[in-house]
Amino acid sequence: MSTNKRDCGDLLVLMALAGFTLWYLLDAIRVSSAVQNLLLILPLSLVVLVIVLLEVALRLKQGTLLTRPEGEGEPLHRTLPVVGLFAAYVVSLETLGFDVATVLFIALFLVMKGERNWLLLGSYSLTFGFGVAFFFAQMLPYPMHMLVLQG
Amino acid sequence: MIDFTAVEQGLALLFSSFAPWVVVVPGIVIGLIFGATPGLQISMAMAIFLPMTLYMDFVQAMLFLTAIFTGGSFGSGIPAILMNIPGTSSAIATAFDGYPMARQGKHNQALGVALLSSVIGVLMGYLILFVMIQPLSLMVLKLGPAEMFAVILWGMTLIASLKGDQVLKGLLAGFVGLLIGTIGFNELGMARGTMGQAYLLDGVPVIPAMMGMFAASELFKLANKGFIVESEASRKVKISEIFQGFKLALSYPWVMIRGGLIGVFVGAVPGVGSSVSNLLSYVETQRRDKDPSSFGKGNPKGVVASESANSTSEAGSMATLLALGIPGGGATAVMLAAFAMHNITGGPQFIRQQTDVVYAIIFANFAQVFLLMVIGLLFIPLLANIVKVPMRYLIPSVLVLAVMGSFGLTGNMTGPATVLVFAVVGWLLRHYGYSVPAAVIGMLLGAMAEKSLLHSYQISGGNLAYVLERPVTLIILALLLVSLFGQRLMSWIKRRQSPVGA
Repeated sequence: MSTNKRDCGDLLVLMALAGFTLWYLLDAIRVSSAVQNLLLILPLSLVVLVIVLLEVALRLKQGTLLTRPEGEGEPLHRTLPVVGLFAAYVVSLETLGFDVATVLFIALFLVMKGERNWLLLGSYSLTFGFGVAFFFAQMLPYPMHMLVLQG
Repeated sequence: MIDFTAVEQGLALLFSSFAPWVVVVPGIVIGLIFGATPGLQISMAMAIFLPMTLYMDFVQAMLFLTAIFTGGSFGSGIPAILMNIPGTSSAIATAFDGYPMARQGKHNQALGVALLSSVIGVLMGYLILFVMIQPLSLMVLKLGPAEMFAVILWGMTLIASLKGDQVLKGLLAGFVGLLIGTIGFNELGMARGTMGQAYLLDGVPVIPAMMGMFAASELFKLANKGFIVESEASRKVKISEIFQGFKLALSYPWVMIRGGLIGVFVGAVPGVGSSVSNLLSYVETQRRDKDPSSFGKGNPKGVVASESANSTSEAGSMATLLALGIPGGGATAVMLAAFAMHNITGGPQFIRQQTDVVYAIIFANFAQVFLLMVIGLLFIPLLANIVKVPMRYLIPSVLVLAVMGSFGLTGNMTGPATVLVFAVVGWLLRHYGYSVPAAVIGMLLGAMAEKSLLHSYQISGGNLAYVLERPVTLIILALLLVSLFGQRLMSWIKRRQSPVGA
């Protein structure tokens, strides 16, 4: 039998969805309150807000508003470092270039996930990182920022 | 319906010299590679290789482009099955059951099911096109914006309610997705929800967002796993098991035929195409199945439904292109450019005056089907080895491909940034039991839904009674209600009819 863990994340996600919807509706009204502009956005936003209220009411009735069934997915704290590393990779592309940032991202990911064969780690991150960056730089019609390779 | 003189001339066009065939094998291989690489779209492959068609005659150019299309439609299913990353939006539903099959160690069978369903799908689609091109083109002309909106609403509601136990969360994800899909300029030039950012004026880049929601968020979830397939014995690539997949696909002929029919008709609707047909076919198959709860957990019928529909959609969108000169999506838009490069205009006149060319294109696609089978069989063992790669190598590699691919789609940092933002959003939605596919489809269809609704409003002058004069719209809306409440209504009626206490 699954037990429930205390977790207000679900409620926060619901609130975020309602918050986005409300903000978007107000922004659309600010731009123009013409029927043509709000034809889909207004009714759809109202439906979303009603569904959020319904979901909250249902969960309150069931007493599960601030809980989450145990065993659903990985705990957030185990995944957060990976998300953080990925975010750092994307943010660093413009400064480190697609080539160096990619090599570093792969190498750091491998270290984070326990790879201790340093030869394999180094050769894979260098070969794959530079290889993919070079391939895309050759294939794409736009300039890609590189630090070592020719963009 | 069939002009036999033109059939003879079409065959002569194809077989009088070997030249048209030289480009077919490279076309299929290019399509397979682009389709199977997350972030590289079939339309992108066609656009990159479009200049080459300048040196070809029209038939050869069309063969080359349709070969890329055919290869790509199957290729996009490969990462959907092996990595849960649909190579394109037309393979979204393939991932629903293909990936769970791969995780159960049935990746060989899943790829076999996908290949045969694709092959039969393309064959079926072009057979229907051969017989029906003229009546189909007339039918497409009758579909107005009201019908388009009803189709979108139907598809959206069906997809959102896929997670039977969490319908409210599914609908919520789908409708918020629709709202996100309307961000940016509308048809009247009003920019909403852009926060003053110029890169959002054209809307949220949907494909990078899709990559983030589907691929990156799933990879985050798997970051602490050892392999895609945990059991070492199940990681082997076996041709014999791929053939088992063929047999498995053949054991569901009705799923394939239904998928094919949905694919060809939905594919013929401009702008809707294979992105919607694979999902509609999947949902219909799940709805009609005796055990709908087995879908999403590795039911091969889900893969058959999706792949047969997305492959037949190619023929459907070709029908619209050839008969009306309207591209159904990105790939056919590139073909339209090839038409222009060869001073040819698609439309009823083209069909009437150059029927032999139309038939030549159709016959060439019959042959492409068999070539796809052979080339696909050669490629699958190479690509299926991916399940042997430890996740700590696979995850950063695929994330890198998604980031580079998204850069390729937008040409600036908007793509990678979108992948990042939607990866986090998708990860949170997944974590708390929301339907990520519903959110993605909503984003894909948001702008189209708004446009269709606006056009209906303009045509009707705001009079709601207009809908009552559109029988097709009413039928689609009725289907929507039946899909949502039909089963519940039937079981309620049964309960009422059965004696008390029985």
